[in-house]
Amino acid sequence: MVRITKDTEIGQEFAGKPKKMIWERVWTFSGGVFTSQGWPKKNLHTDIEFAQNLGLPTVGVSATQYLGHMAELMIDLFGEAWLNHGRMSNVKFIKLVVDGDMLVSKAKVVGKEQEGSTVKYVLDIYVENQNHDKVLVGTATGIAG
Amino acid sequence: MSNQQTKMKSAHLMGLGEEFEPLEFIVTPEMNQQYLYAEEDFHPMYIEPRGDGPPLVHPGLLLNMSNNTRSPSFYLPPGWGEIHAGEETEYINPGRVGKKFRVTWKVIEAFEKRGRPWHVLDILVVDEDGVIIMRRKMTNTFASWELKR
Repeated sequence: MVRITKDTEIGQEFAGKPKKMIWERVWTFSGGVFTSQGWPKKNLHTDIEFAQNLGLPTVGVSATQYLGHMAELMIDLFGEAWLNHGRMSNVKFIKLVVDGDMLVSKAKVVGKEQEGSTVKYVLDIYVENQNHDKVLVGTATGIAG
Repeated sequence: MSNQQTKMKSAHLMGLGEEFEPLEFIVTPEMNQQYLYAEEDFHPMYIEPRGDGPPLVHPGLLLNMSNNTRSPSFYLPPGWGEIHAGEETEYINPGRVGKKFRVTWKVIEAFEKRGRPWHVLDILVVDEDGVIIMRRKMTNTFASWELKR
C-alpha cells in the first residue's frame, strides 16, 4: 500500500526499516554472483587487506547497497509505479559505512506540484547510521495519484 | 582505440567519451533472490509471478550490476580502488526476472580535484527487448597509496 497520496502535506517525514549491515549481506551484495568463480570476489567491500591498501580503515559497504534501501523506501511510499518514473538526484555518499552499522533510510516531503490529475512530490532523502550521522543525502521525486 | 587497448587501460586513465565494454547478463530467480537477501527486502513482487508477467528484478540488483566495476573491461592496477561519490538514478521501467540485460558505460566528464582523478559516467540498462530500464549518472573518484604520497 502506498504511503504518499495526493493529500500528503509538505513537511511530512517517513522512514524505512532499520537494516544492520552484517558481513553476510555485504558479501552477498558485493562479492559477485554466487555462481561466479572464486566467490566472493576480493574488493574494498569484501576484503580488509584490499581496503587497507587503499588507505581505508576497514572494508566499506557499497554505496549502491544502501541506495537500494532508499529505492525500497521510495517504492514503499509511491508504490511499484515508482519504478516507471522515480528519480534520485544529487545523491552524495558522505560517510563511510562499515560492517555492523545500523542504517535507516528517511525522507521528508519538501515540495508538491499538481501535474494534470497527479501530484509530483519532491523529497529530501537521507540515510542515517546508528549515531544519527548522515551517510547518504540527496533528493528524490515521485508521483502520486 | 581498439577494444583490446581499452580492456588494458586502467579505469582512472579513461578519458572523456571513452566507453567501458558492455556487460550482458540474465537475471535468474536465484540471482534475484541473492540480492533480496543482501538488501533484506523480500517483497512478493520480486518472488512471485504476476498477472502481467514474471517477478520484478530488485532495483538493488540493477544498481549493483550497473556499477562500472562489473564491466568486462574494468581494470585498476593493484593498490588502486574506485570510490563511488555521487549518483543520479532514473527508473524508467521495471526489469523482469528471466530477461537478459545489457549495461553500457560512457565517460561524460573527466577532471581532477584535490589531486585525484574524477569521472562522471553515463550508464544505461536496457533489456533484451530494447526496453530502457534505468539510466544513471555515477560520479566516481579513485584511491590509492600512490595518491596519498
